[in-house]
Parts: sequence; structure tokens; C-alpha cells
Amino acid sequence: MLAALAVVLAVCALGVLAGSSGFGWAAPDIVWRIRVPRVLAGFGAGAALAVSGALMQALTRNALADPYVLGVAGGASVGALAVMLAASAGGIGLGEWGVALGAAVGAGVASALLFGLMWRRLTNHSAGTDASAALLLVGVMIGSGCTAVVSLILSVADEGQLRGMVFWLLGDLNGATHWEIVWAALALTMLLVWPSAREIDWLARGDAWAATLGVAVAKRRRSALLAASIATGAAVAVAGAIGFVGLVVPHVLRRLGIRAAPLLLPASALLGGVFVVAVDAVARTVLAPLQLPVGVLAAAVGVPTFIAMLLGRPAGATRA
Amino acid sequence: MKAVDLEVIGLGLRAGGSARGRLLFAGLDLRIATGECWVVVGPNGAGKSSLLGALAGVFAIDSGSVRIDGRAIADWPPTALASRRAWSPQFWSDPFPSTVAETAALAHGRGGGWRHWLDDGIGAEVMRRLDELGLRALADADVQSLSGGERQRVAIATALLQDAPLLLLDEPASHLDPAHQRLLLAVLRRHAAAGGSVVASLHDLDLAWDLASHCVLLDGGGGAVAGRRDDVLVASALTDVFGVAIEAIDVRGARRFVVGDAAEPAR
Repeated sequence: MLAALAVVLAVCALGVLAGSSGFGWAAPDIVWRIRVPRVLAGFGAGAALAVSGALMQALTRNALADPYVLGVAGGASVGALAVMLAASAGGIGLGEWGVALGAAVGAGVASALLFGLMWRRLTNHSAGTDASAALLLVGVMIGSGCTAVVSLILSVADEGQLRGMVFWLLGDLNGATHWEIVWAALALTMLLVWPSAREIDWLARGDAWAATLGVAVAKRRRSALLAASIATGAAVAVAGAIGFVGLVVPHVLRRLGIRAAPLLLPASALLGGVFVVAVDAVARTVLAPLQLPVGVLAAAVGVPTFIAMLLGRPAGATRA
Repeated sequence: MKAVDLEVIGLGLRAGGSARGRLLFAGLDLRIATGECWVVVGPNGAGKSSLLGALAGVFAIDSGSVRIDGRAIADWPPTALASRRAWSPQFWSDPFPSTVAETAALAHGRGGGWRHWLDDGIGAEVMRRLDELGLRALADADVQSLSGGERQRVAIATALLQDAPLLLLDEPASHLDPAHQRLLLAVLRRHAAAGGSVVASLHDLDLAWDLASHCVLLDGGGGAVAGRRDDVLVASALTDVFGVAIEAIDVRGARRFVVGDAAEPAR
């Protein structure tokens, strides 16, 4: 526990010290108004995405699920890009607040759509109906629809806007200073799911079995889904659609032996936060003064790690 | 262990638990007292799993009622019910890696909250149960890597570790080799003798005979008979229900069932 906290603090210090102008302490203004908020935003977004990923994998009983299978991130992308497009068409400077607001509204609309379509399945619970497969499919469909709209926006946007849009879609902490939003969302998410985290594990083993243990299945599924949507929506609104954190972090922890939800959820938050802060520190120093989108580097690190893990001998699978 | 009294009054179930489903059976009456081992026998699709689900409170009842300690199952607070009966389904989902010990301990120590569970998750009690079911050597193995019979024994350990007096087990002997079938019988009999009770669906009639004190025979055509083992598990009734010739012979005091060939399908 202490070691984990030490790692978190060390990585955050590294994130504060690493700058595009070189490594080290910079002018107080740069540190306090740019780097510290950026590290906090990155940590919060990574933590929220990893927690959301762990929740979605359990709720859909699918190891390949990530925060984006809900379609919430797709909705956020549509919202953010639509704001960027409208801003350039209208010739008004909306700034980052406008984009974040657009993303939040988009995420909210996509969640409302998902909940609306799934409401009957999520309320009329009996042993015969299992919501996980339908949930996954509806979420993926909403996401696909959003992808189509995103492509449409990209194809009609003018050249000057494209770069900003693509960076946003890849996940970008550049100018992400509104860490309060994502930290509040993270706190709310943990508040919704952590006190009854053990029930999340029971649900992953079967809805009917969980019901025999006293879980209010429909209620618990709804609140966990809501929690995952809030976390994802806030993370994407603040930092764009950073990939792989939500998928890979829970898997890495499970391989390390942290599998039960009461431990997995907080551990995901810590590792997800540390991962994004570390990757972001590299992303803005490795080709300085050029800053890479954090999502690109997250994928560059995440993809080979994940494949190596999948092909490697799974921990605990050896027969005694 | 607190004794639990399960009473079934005029129970009728329909397939899928929906009012439009095919009638599985109706008018089933039985009462399960402490120390009894009930076996549910019947052809595929007769409603064995549905009956166990209904007794557990997770399968919709079409008519009649299921009462635990005199109170209808739907009127129980769900968490109180969890400490009175444990239900083990026929199929388990193991979506993520998890050790045998972790899986067995899933429902263990619910009352103490997560803090108790963090401290005492895989305690001596869990290892004792794994030992009892011959799983100690596999305690750290991944459940996803187990054979069917090994996974089945883990499921029984999970049910036992829920610490409920009434066990509702859906085909607990499936995939088990003869030695482990006998081990299962011994474990379940011990559970009943220690003040618990057992309801298990089984396909092996000899095994059913050896475990049961009582039996429910579902005929697959809407009928259900419940009673003492010696009155229900009789060759003529089994022959009628399964549609193959079944003969009962006496081997060293135990009734054994010899099943004849299926009739040739009519051309």
C-alpha cells in the first residue's frame, strides 16, 4: 500500500517536472497554472477510465469490454467535434470550456439513449433474462452510430480544424486544466459502486446467482452502469478519448492477482492515473517542443504490453 | 447451523417462468425438514432446474407457493434468505481469471462486510472445504483452467461456504468420476447430518438412491410425485416416466437400477 502511494507520488512529481522546455522546475506560473492542473487532469482521467473499464468488463462479463463499449465516448466525440465545427463556422472562439461542455452533453445524450433503450431489460429482472449481452450490443451500436457522425463531421470540417479534431479524438491533455470535473466524477463513481463492490463480482458470475445472495440485481446494474457512464463521460470531456487505459489496466491488475472488485476498483484508479500521467510526461518531452497526443503514446505502450500479456503464460493458470 | 423448514404448497411452474410457457408440472406438495436429502429426478426438460430455481426464489412461480420457515419466499428480505439457502446453478460464468480458493470463497463471510472479507477472505474455513472436496492442491489454480469435474467441485465448495443450512444443487454430480461422486455423497450426507438439508437434481438413479431420503419425480408431462425415497424411486414409475424399461435389483441391500435399451423408433 505504501509502495503504491510512493509510486503515485513519484510519477506525479515526474509529471510536474517534465516540460516541453526541458526537465526541471520551471517558472511558478507554468508549474502551478499549466503543469500541476495537467497532471491532476491526466491522473483523474486515467483513473476514471480504468475504473469504468473494470466496471464495464464485470457488467458485460466480457474481458474485451472497455469504457467505450457503452457508446458514451462516441457521444462525447460527436458533441466535442460538433462544437469545434460550429465554432469555426460561426467564427467564434469557444475555447476549451466549450469543447468540454460539448463532450459532456454528447456523453449525456448517448447515456440517456443507452439507458432508454435498455430500461426495460434493466428493470424487469428475472432469472431468465440476462442483460449483459444485450447491453454490450446496444452500446456497441450506439458507438458505431456515433463513429459515423464523427466521420461525417471530419469530412465536412475545414483544413484548419481537422488537426485539432484529430488530436481531440486521439486523447489529448494539451490545455486540459479542468481537473476538478473529472475528480468530482471519479469520487461520485466510487461512491456509487465501491461500498457494494463485492456485489459486482457476484453479478459477473451470474445475475440469478447474485440474486440468491441478496443482490438487488436490476438496481445494482443500473447504478454501476450510471457510475461507469459518469466516469467515462467526464474523462473524455476533459482529456479526449484516450484509448487502452480502460481496457488494459484492469487486465494488468488481474494478472498481478488483484481480482476482487473491492480491491480492483481502487487499484484500477491508481494504476490508470499513474499510467496516463507517466505516458503524458513522455508524450510532451520525447519530441519537445512538439507535444504528442497522449492517446497515441498510450496505444503505443498499451498494445504491445497487452499482446505480450495475452500470449504469455497467464498467471495462476499453472496446474499444481 | 440454524435449521430451515422448506414447504412447497401446490406448486406449479411453466417453462421459462412465463405465463405463456409450457406447463412443466402443477400441484407439487412437499415439506423438507432438517436432516433430509431430497433428490429431484426426471427426464430432460421436465423442470428439475426450474424447480430448484423456484425453491431458491429466482424462478417465477405459476401457481402455489414456496415457504421458508412459514414465510413466503418473496416476503423474505433477500440477504436474510441468503444465509438460509444456497443455490448452485448448473452453469457458471467465469469471465475473468480467478483462483479456485477465491471462487470457492465468493459468497463466504457476507455478513462481515468487505473489511472482514479482505482480512479473512481465504481463511482456514475455505481451505478446510477445499480439502474436503479434494481441491486443496488446486487452490491456486485458475478456475478457467479446470476440467468439468473439478469446476463442479469448486461450485459445491462455493455453495457450502455460503454457510446456509439448505443446499439447492442443480446437477452437482455432473462431470464427476465415480470416486468423486461418492465423495460428493459423503459431503452432502455430512451436511444433512450436521443440521442442514439438501435438494439436488441427479440423473444417475443409483446415485440418487444412495443420496436420497426423499425424492421428487417429475414425469415431463405435467405430473410430479414427491415422497419417501422407497415409495418414489420404484422401477415401474421410472419406466413410465423415462419411457425405457427400468428394472430394480437388490445388490447388498441397495436398490440398483438396470436400464434397458431404448425402443426402436417406429418406421
